Amino acid sequence: MTMRNLSNLNSLRFFLVTSVILNLTGAVLSAQTIDFDKEIAPILVSHCLECHQGNEPEGGLNLSELPALMKGGESGKVVYTGNAEKSLLWERVRSDEMPPEHPLNDQEKTKVKRWIDEGAIWGNGPLDLFSLTTDQRAGRDWWSLQPLQRAMPPDVKSDWVRNNIDRFIYDKLATNRLQPSPEADRRILIRRLSYDLTGLPPTPKEVDQFVNDDSKDAYERLVDRLLDSPHYGERWGRHWLDVVHFGESNGFEYNQPRNNAWPYRNWVINAFNEDMPYDEFVRQQIAGDILAPDTGGSIAVACLVTGPHNTTKPSNDTMRKTMRQDEMEDMVGMVNQAFLGMTTNCARCHDHKFDPISSSDYYSMASSLAGVEFGERNVPLDPQTVRKTAKLKNDLKRLESKLSGLEQIAREAALRRDENLESPYQGPQPIAAWNFQTNLEDQVGSMDVTLVGGARREPSGLVLDGKGAFARTSRIKKPLSAKTLEVWVQLGDLNQRGGGVISHQTADGVIFDAIVFAEREAKRWMAGSNGFSRYESFQANEETEKQKPIHVAITYGSDGTITGYRNGIPYGKTYKNNLAAYAADTSEIVFGLRHGLAAGANRMFRGTISQARIYDRALTAAEISASAQSSGIQIVTEAELVAQLSPAQRQERVQLNLQIKQIVESLKSLENVKVWTAQSIAAATVKVLGRGNVLQEGEVVAPRGLSAIQTVDADFGLKPDSPDRDRRLKLALWMTNSKNPLFSRVIVNRVWHYHFGAGMVSTPNDFGFNGGKPSHPRLLDWLAAELQSNQWSLKHLHRLIVTSATYRQSSRMNRAAATIDADNRFLWRKSPARMEGEALRDSMLAIAGKLDRTIGGKGYRDMREYKFKGSHFYDPIPQNQPEQFRRTIYRFSPRGAKRTMLDTFDCPDPSTITPQRAETTTPLQSLALMNNEFVLAMAKATANRLETNQTKTEEQIRELFRIAYGREVEEQEIERSLPFIQAHGLAAYCRVVFNSNELLYVR
Amino acid sequence: MSDKTQINNQASAIVHPNISRRELLSFGSYGLTGAALSNLVSASEKTNTETTHFQPKAKRVIHICLMGGMSHLDSFDYKPQLQKLHGKELQYEERPATFFNRIGLIRKNDWGFKQHGESGLWVSDLFPHLAKVADDLTVVNSMVAESANHTPATFQQNTGFQLNGFPVMGSWISYGLGSETEDLPAYVVLPDARGYPAGGTINWSNGFLPSVHQGVAFNSQGTPIPDLFPPDGIASDTDLSSRKLLAEMNQEDINRYGPEDALLARIRSHELAARMQLTVPEVTGLENETELTREMYGLNNETTRDFGKNCLLSRRLLEKGVRFVQIISGGSFGSPRINWDGHEDMVKNHNREALRIDQPVAALIKDLKQRSMLEDTLILFTTEFGRTPYTQAGDGELGTGRDHNMYGFSVFMVGAGLKSGTTFGETDELGWKAVKDQVHWYDLHATVLHLLGMDHEKLTFYHNGIERRLTNVHGNVVKEILA
Repeated sequence: MTMRNLSNLNSLRFFLVTSVILNLTGAVLSAQTIDFDKEIAPILVSHCLECHQGNEPEGGLNLSELPALMKGGESGKVVYTGNAEKSLLWERVRSDEMPPEHPLNDQEKTKVKRWIDEGAIWGNGPLDLFSLTTDQRAGRDWWSLQPLQRAMPPDVKSDWVRNNIDRFIYDKLATNRLQPSPEADRRILIRRLSYDLTGLPPTPKEVDQFVNDDSKDAYERLVDRLLDSPHYGERWGRHWLDVVHFGESNGFEYNQPRNNAWPYRNWVINAFNEDMPYDEFVRQQIAGDILAPDTGGSIAVACLVTGPHNTTKPSNDTMRKTMRQDEMEDMVGMVNQAFLGMTTNCARCHDHKFDPISSSDYYSMASSLAGVEFGERNVPLDPQTVRKTAKLKNDLKRLESKLSGLEQIAREAALRRDENLESPYQGPQPIAAWNFQTNLEDQVGSMDVTLVGGARREPSGLVLDGKGAFARTSRIKKPLSAKTLEVWVQLGDLNQRGGGVISHQTADGVIFDAIVFAEREAKRWMAGSNGFSRYESFQANEETEKQKPIHVAITYGSDGTITGYRNGIPYGKTYKNNLAAYAADTSEIVFGLRHGLAAGANRMFRGTISQARIYDRALTAAEISASAQSSGIQIVTEAELVAQLSPAQRQERVQLNLQIKQIVESLKSLENVKVWTAQSIAAATVKVLGRGNVLQEGEVVAPRGLSAIQTVDADFGLKPDSPDRDRRLKLALWMTNSKNPLFSRVIVNRVWHYHFGAGMVSTPNDFGFNGGKPSHPRLLDWLAAELQSNQWSLKHLHRLIVTSATYRQSSRMNRAAATIDADNRFLWRKSPARMEGEALRDSMLAIAGKLDRTIGGKGYRDMREYKFKGSHFYDPIPQNQPEQFRRTIYRFSPRGAKRTMLDTFDCPDPSTITPQRAETTTPLQSLALMNNEFVLAMAKATANRLETNQTKTEEQIRELFRIAYGREVEEQEIERSLPFIQAHGLAAYCRVVFNSNELLYVR
Repeated sequence: MSDKTQINNQASAIVHPNISRRELLSFGSYGLTGAALSNLVSASEKTNTETTHFQPKAKRVIHICLMGGMSHLDSFDYKPQLQKLHGKELQYEERPATFFNRIGLIRKNDWGFKQHGESGLWVSDLFPHLAKVADDLTVVNSMVAESANHTPATFQQNTGFQLNGFPVMGSWISYGLGSETEDLPAYVVLPDARGYPAGGTINWSNGFLPSVHQGVAFNSQGTPIPDLFPPDGIASDTDLSSRKLLAEMNQEDINRYGPEDALLARIRSHELAARMQLTVPEVTGLENETELTREMYGLNNETTRDFGKNCLLSRRLLEKGVRFVQIISGGSFGSPRINWDGHEDMVKNHNREALRIDQPVAALIKDLKQRSMLEDTLILFTTEFGRTPYTQAGDGELGTGRDHNMYGFSVFMVGAGLKSGTTFGETDELGWKAVKDQVHWYDLHATVLHLLGMDHEKLTFYHNGIERRLTNVHGNVVKEILA
């Protein structure tokens, strides 16, 4: 039995004793009959209800309420009031048959028997599995769910104490017969503080200044300087990215890179640097796109979609739904762990086995986040850009209408010359157009069609057999990126799979965009592309039309927006992806073949194409709609159009086109700041899923918070079908409510964890039953309250912690203390810590004088990303390139990359949520530190730096010790080093220093 | 503490849960003795690495992992009914849920089946060499998975979970048993020479287990392990002197600040690294093998060379004390295919893949047997799912490829503690769904751990609120296949 459970029992006993005393003093003789609420209910809750409650209790027996108890179960009546011996319930309990595996002890058994014998008197209403903490699980009375209690700091008489934190710590140390350690010396302190607050070593100058600073507040000023450093945000931002498993690829089979995920990383760094109040920090990460769309909030919500995301979507609906549920589990799990220290994942399949979280709680949380989808969107980076963009868009509109006015007159004139025409064509100008009902010629330019493999033209159009037939054009003369593909087509077979109707492909058939039928999903249209790289499901209805031609179009916007249309109406949902750019004279159009140079496999289309057109921009919905209705209308060719214009008009047209092009380019650079972040979609109405199975839909739940937190109303007052906006806004407000005790306790503990190497609660993401119990519960609450009353300022919290005597203790080992408290839970010293992989790499860069201290920006890559057979891979490239010499937090971090030195030093793969990092010691680390090209390059650069500054080897050693260790070298150390340097060089010596424990450990 | 949690590293509720001093020990603890050991491991923490839960049958594992989905119908699960119904429509009550949702006509097995050995085990002509060791195989024909999507299914095969971020079986076993050598990692991965599987290193991730349990992939070309040696320009006497100097400096550091377990462990890790530099080239030096052996593993044949090398290397790694070697057959998906994903043309696809591995795997089995290593070694031969009895084609069409089938498929095991020359479980008469004695991955994992002397419910690691297991909350040991 754990200590935790003992203490629960103790408090229970204490409670029992007092109640008996009260009963005695009150001279109430009812102490004769057993008290159901105090003595029987806890037994039922902790030993029976796990199985015997709810709609489908084991054996049909529900023990949570009196009527059900009296009704009995599948074996009949179980309780005969007043007669335990006759009662099946007692029989099972007495024989240890129930509860299985962990039978009741004699005392408990006696109580049960007595209770039945005394008439099985019930208390008030039904029992609730979650009401009480037992030795099996936490109830709503669990410590972390109770309101904060700001206790008075203990009145401690000791000179050691510097602030209130120390009072709590000293008090606990004394209780455990321990003494605090003396203050560490100043060189140690500045190194410790620098790494802790900025992740970088102090410079020799900074060390000297601090060591020689006689003023009383030298330490406090140092702390302030470090907290003001922009490197503070980089250091603490990295911690936060671990918690939200920030990764820059999708994971799973395709593992596509997220090239635009970096703005979130910078947002986090900035938020720390600006000391954004923690509650605001979290609100923005849940609902920033609603709360502060123009000031970074839309980037902040990327927090919700940092996790893995499977883009390999099966055709089968059940499989797809299950995948969405998997995604939601990751999202719901991460949010609750990061902000509330509560694990909720388990409740996807059943009520939580250890914490008071029901399945219904889980799905309510899932409902709160149901409107979140993974993806990219154009995010206004700042209000200035927003204004500028608006102006350019206005200009563009004006110029375009001028141009179309000019062309329209010419077009109408051209068409009037053709007497057969019924009405003039009003639509936009394609770059190529074919009317296969008439001929195979391009009606606009010269991209005539050649037939291949039995393709034939008939009066109905171009007939394709789905086997070997296809048709192709000559090369497209101009570059093409944004575009529209449009066809009028009649399907030959609704069950065919994967054929391309029209495909724009590179001449080698490798890169392509195509209108494809039923490749990924049966009977549905899709935007086909090489390796599905621009594919997402339109999630539209099945195609049913086989009897007559339909109009199908896909538009590819310059911002990567891909929209499908069927018969002039948008086909399913639009999505934003990437855009392929095809250079002039490199691409062509093929009909009937998804892509490639020859017929094959499932790429062939069966049906008849009557007309087709391509455009060099994404047509608007209105244009498509008009075009769809204009079937059969002839096109004015470029030559015909130009012929109708006067020389001045031609000149004007050229000018207009040029201006439009310039504006489009400017807009592209302004607007094309695509950011990987949460998309707001139509939020589904969420139902509880039995055993987590998408086929077992149960009751509908409304979006709400966790009912276990009773201090804040979990009911958002929202309907189950509320829009995403409302759901996330309410969630953000509920989560960050100052009355939510978990919210502030969890962050205080997290911050403490990073400062001391262990939290007061040893499990920063789990304040539930399986988590650790706080070593200093009163201090935890005191700090939580302190954080709240200081506008949720994390910098205030840091300051309080690092200026305490507790933090300033020496890290020197004390064997006597270690025998009492080996793990230093009570903080009799400051535990030394090995640097994280990032700090180690950054340190080497700093020591070598190579560190690029730029804050923010896009970051660097130390790997080659390549695509092989649809999957993306990330292989390390040489790690010694100057453009990589930025702080490690700016490293592009995909999932499943090949290992580097960083993995070896316990930097987690971003697939895993990492509330605390492992700190391993392995030979692979030793190999990396000795032999990795980066380490060797840094050793060499350090040697160069020293040689530039100092000519004498002795001085070079002195300086190295100052830079690397922050201390003066001792004479004997110089003596030992000199022969080594003479024999092997200074760079080899620097390599040894990089490997030394004195460098690797922060004391 | 309940019994259940005793095995894990959380000695008490107030110990930092994920970091125990035992983790400071590099690869296992067998070699550490005397002062170093007593300093590094407190008595209460001598758990997994010291003892198993019960007497193990196997001490080490080779996992041959086929990517893409090998067809059980064309290899180990003989279905005569398929011959009869060839070209007929599938009669079903529910339309099968498959990845591409195209249900073509039923297709017969494209390879002939024969019974082999004394056991009369059915093996198809796809694997003529494996057929010769049929009496050593323990085939399970009733596997079921929960996803028909490659990567989630592969993750489930290896971690029990479909999501990214969970530790794989090799990591769990490394965590549970440690290593028998200090000179090599406990868990080595030998990827297909044609490329990494989709998802890259996630496939051998330690997940939330300490990084020492991560699979270490041996490159098939160049230095097997990154950073094993300095790139160039560092003379060996410089290296040696550097180590000596480093040892001196670290010792002085301890004198200055007092002894710390972590610092002692790091000093030790430098020694282990040096030993690794000796052992790795030795173990990967296949040229030391006899010509007979090289021939047996197919090293002289271009088709079988890559996989043969990995099979032979895996034996050598085991001999040196590596706990878990994973050999991967197949790279990522897409076209043209380089794995077992026979959507288009089963004959072409499976012939190509099987030719690469059939002889080497059979050689590995024979070789381990003749060296008496099979007595305490377990070989696993698995794939993420099987393939459909109907073709992946339009309605009424007889295609040449088969789609993914998670409802029923085959794997086999060889070695310690198993009934050999047997098959277990059955699919329906078409081989679509496992109908008798279903074996889920959880069950297979539980069985593997059982053979290694571990109770799958007791091999746990605390992460984010849950005592995590390889088998999640499921798993039953398949007792019927145990000897």
